[in-house]
Amino acid sequence: MKALREAAEKLLREKRVSLVIGYEGRKGRPAFFAAKPEDCGRLAYDASCRQNLAAYLGKPEIRARLPVALVAPPAVLRSIVVMSAESQVAPGQVLALAVDGDSYLGTFDAAGAAELLRAKYSTLAPEPALLERVQGLLQKSPAERAAFWEAEFSKCTRCYACRAACPGCYCSRCIVEKNAPQWISTAALGHGNYTWNVMRAFHQSGRCTLCGACEAACPQGLPLMLLNAALDREALEEFGSRPGYDPEAKPLIGSWSADDDHSYMR
Amino acid sequence: MMKTETSTAPAPAAFEPRITAFVCNWCTYAGADLAGTSRLQYASNMRIIKLPCTGRIDPLFVLKAFENGADAVLVSGCHPGDCHYTSGNYHARRRWTLFRKLLALTGIGDDRLFFSWVSAAEGQKFADLVNDVTAKVRKAGPFRAAHPGRRAS
Amino acid sequence: MKTIETGRLPDLAQALSAAGYRVVAPIEEGGVVRFREWAPGLAIAPGVVPANSLKDFLFPRSEVVARFALEPGGFSPAPVERSAVKTAVLCARPCDAAALAALDAVFNWDYRDGAYNARREAATVVSLACSKADEHCFCTSVGGAPDGVAGADAILRPADGGRLLVLDALTEKGRALDQAAAGALAEGPAALDAPAALPRRFDPEAVGRWLAANFESPFWKEAALACLGCGACAYACPVCHCFDLQDETDRAECRRLRNWDSCGFGLFTLHASGHNPRPDQSARWRQRVMHKFSIYPQKFKTLACTGCGRCSRLCQAGMAIAATCERIEALGR
Repeated sequence: MKALREAAEKLLREKRVSLVIGYEGRKGRPAFFAAKPEDCGRLAYDASCRQNLAAYLGKPEIRARLPVALVAPPAVLRSIVVMSAESQVAPGQVLALAVDGDSYLGTFDAAGAAELLRAKYSTLAPEPALLERVQGLLQKSPAERAAFWEAEFSKCTRCYACRAACPGCYCSRCIVEKNAPQWISTAALGHGNYTWNVMRAFHQSGRCTLCGACEAACPQGLPLMLLNAALDREALEEFGSRPGYDPEAKPLIGSWSADDDHSYMR
Repeated sequence: MMKTETSTAPAPAAFEPRITAFVCNWCTYAGADLAGTSRLQYASNMRIIKLPCTGRIDPLFVLKAFENGADAVLVSGCHPGDCHYTSGNYHARRRWTLFRKLLALTGIGDDRLFFSWVSAAEGQKFADLVNDVTAKVRKAGPFRAAHPGRRAS
Repeated sequence: MKTIETGRLPDLAQALSAAGYRVVAPIEEGGVVRFREWAPGLAIAPGVVPANSLKDFLFPRSEVVARFALEPGGFSPAPVERSAVKTAVLCARPCDAAALAALDAVFNWDYRDGAYNARREAATVVSLACSKADEHCFCTSVGGAPDGVAGADAILRPADGGRLLVLDALTEKGRALDQAAAGALAEGPAALDAPAALPRRFDPEAVGRWLAANFESPFWKEAALACLGCGACAYACPVCHCFDLQDETDRAECRRLRNWDSCGFGLFTLHASGHNPRPDQSARWRQRVMHKFSIYPQKFKTLACTGCGRCSRLCQAGMAIAATCERIEALGR
């Protein structure tokens, strides 16, 4: 971590960024914001760091202080690339302090991060155990699946920690916050919970980098990664979609091909 | 082939499905119109909601239909290449491929969510489609009140 | 002393259930312990602070507060169910029980909330004294204690190294529960375990004084940088009680729902004009801290925080109200 701290310190000293966003060295690894070079001694990173710091790129108070640097494991590097592809950050406004396990891999802009990902992390995919759980669920009957999700969604309190934790959720007014009409019931019950959780996942189609921050943030332990992984695989299998590897990529749902599958359409 | 009755006899409990159809104005709606003017008989369980284009159909509409009591949903529009707005149906198609996967994972499968391309000239196809979908949904039964997507009464 | 083996808590639940109580207890599911309705066969998990609080059972996440039947040409009010089920809460934490006083105050202030009061009256709260605390707990900083009895109708105290629990009834309701539980309890001596040692981290009065005088302090800008404005802390908090009224209509009726809301959400104070008096997260975090440690105590003579630590335990961004209070106290010196 010495190399990470030194790199962060250098960025601040050279005024290449006004803020370094990382994790603090103490237990729980809370988000840490270093504005002065000497603060960087408090930075640390390990596998317990599940928060996706790219979520801060959607926060107005942080955007007002761009350029910033973020401590970024591979999934977060992908998030930065996705945000770049979606024009949410301009080139040079975000620098990634790339990390993986105990290693500091270097400082990269979005384009550089994409190159690193293509070179060293081209096979990132959901964990086999997670995919097995998705398959297991798909093998059950529709009624069993409905019962499973009814039980899970009944725990949802609509705190939107999942939304807050996700860098992809940066809408200034979320679909649940629209009330003319109220598309999604705000009551933390039944159909509202179902609709929210399904639409949240759906709005990440072709954009989710499987960082797991949403599931980690959920106070009720909802298995959100089941939804995310299933969609991720479908997007890959049907459309070859791999979000976060190309800062010029067109959005999956915003584009189309004449050859897209429609075998299920009559 | 003219049909005067729906193609499957109703179940003893006389469950009549309520089916919501989201269709595009230029193709499927016109096709439905043609079915009507041709005096083709088809099941009356479907409530049609007309939109300018399938590209306008937000997947959220499908969930709202289930929430409000639909036993099944049909989405239908112009054949690829024929969209009045050139590419609206291409956008829609890509969306549906992904959305139906998510719905299948959460308990709403091919027995309740249907997609089709019906052109303005395909009145017969529309009538046959409605009859077929209605029969399938009648067989599938009521959308369980216990499905998390349905508003509890 | 009336005792029960810690491992036999389900027997206590069973006895209370047979006596007509709905039993609520901490139950583990999918790796998360939460208070929920107990059913025979379920194990009770008393070892950690559950993810939710007792608030769920007194002030539910969503509740119908008014109902109108829709008819051609008009509408008419329809009755709303206000009954409450006789409930025994087992293994509440002292911080959970202490929070009830703060909720009682606000739900009986300018408007007496009949639904809340009915549920409150129907609930018998049995606390479990804490023999250990984690780094997020701070009840002793806000006037509580790991073996505090405020708000509890009865208390279970660990004994014999945690093997036994000693039941003491504290109120009428507690005595009634004690009687109902008789079959599950044994009589005999037990050596009470020491409650958790939890040093005080800050003085809430000093914090309150600084808060009242430093609304415009630049402290808040930096203090809230990590907060992403979700409602996890407010919803888990045993004292937070803000709500939003929403009408939902279908063909047959309109229901007015009271749903939980959080001051952390960006839209919480958004006016119809577009103006937002709390325009950024620092203003919203300031409001959260001030409400709990300055505004609420001024009005109701009780803090709106009992140090349960849920907010910081589950905040993924690392926001921690106790740490904020420590820093405020240091600023005040």
